[in-house]
Amino acid sequence: MTHKRTIGTLWVVLLALTLLSAYMAERADTSFISASIMAIVLAIKGRIIVDHFMELKKAHIVLRTLMRTYFYVIPSLIIIVYLFPEQIAKWTML
Amino acid sequence: MNALASSYVSQTKPTSEQLNFVVKKANIPGSIAIWFAILAEMSEFAIMFIVYFLAKVHNPELFHEGPTRLSTLAGTTNTLVMLTSSFFVVRAVIATRTNKPKQSANWLWGAVACGVIYLIIKAFEYHWNTTQGLATETNIFYGVYYYVTFNHFLHVGWGSAGLIWVIYRINTGIYTSNEHEGLINMAVYWHMIDLAWITIFPLLYVIR
Repeated sequence: MTHKRTIGTLWVVLLALTLLSAYMAERADTSFISASIMAIVLAIKGRIIVDHFMELKKAHIVLRTLMRTYFYVIPSLIIIVYLFPEQIAKWTML
Repeated sequence: MNALASSYVSQTKPTSEQLNFVVKKANIPGSIAIWFAILAEMSEFAIMFIVYFLAKVHNPELFHEGPTRLSTLAGTTNTLVMLTSSFFVVRAVIATRTNKPKQSANWLWGAVACGVIYLIIKAFEYHWNTTQGLATETNIFYGVYYYVTFNHFLHVGWGSAGLIWVIYRINTGIYTSNEHEGLINMAVYWHMIDLAWITIFPLLYVIR
């Protein structure tokens, strides 16, 4: 696959993942499964942009790791906050 | 001994070419300076996301109801527009690398058009919110929503202006297929704006 075609394919994948999230937004309340799917969708979208659009896939390890970590942390927070809202609220009470 | 090491030995200030040599060797797209800016901005957005999570756990009802009153259509369309703009920017970089400056400028005009469409949709969305009686002081969900999305709105605004500046630079013939650091700097900065939005979208519009 040429580079141009890869980028084009990834763009279509990003659009499709966005439409999946939008469908879920309209459909029902957030369940554990839907929260997990949204977190995974965000992780995949972030990784595609970091690796292929910003071209960090083969870039310096520190930069690549910092940018990739962002899209492990935020999706994980989505799931953690979904699972343990009361505990987090208790710990962060002023 | 490489060029930078020799400048240290002779205790002279390294020239920008010597520093660029080091950056290329370290395999960093664009300049180091733009990555400081990007990491600073990503940290700023990360703080806003942490505020969102904390406000959410302390106000579960408001954050459950909040997204249902926002326009999912506006949020989704703007996500599609931002992703498309990023795709256009990648195509502009590919065009410059293959020595097609005219094509490169055209792809960037496409990205600018996406930026403008984004801003127009967002303005309509804010107007629509106002007609629904939603404002920053309605409750903490909308306070967070306006703070985060307006901050992002500003980024798209000045990012679009930056893209126009790079188009001007392309038209002056300053970039070659090998040397086009300014274009790469703008490209990675624009992708950062996109990354912020793809995170904002599920948090504020989708998850309840």
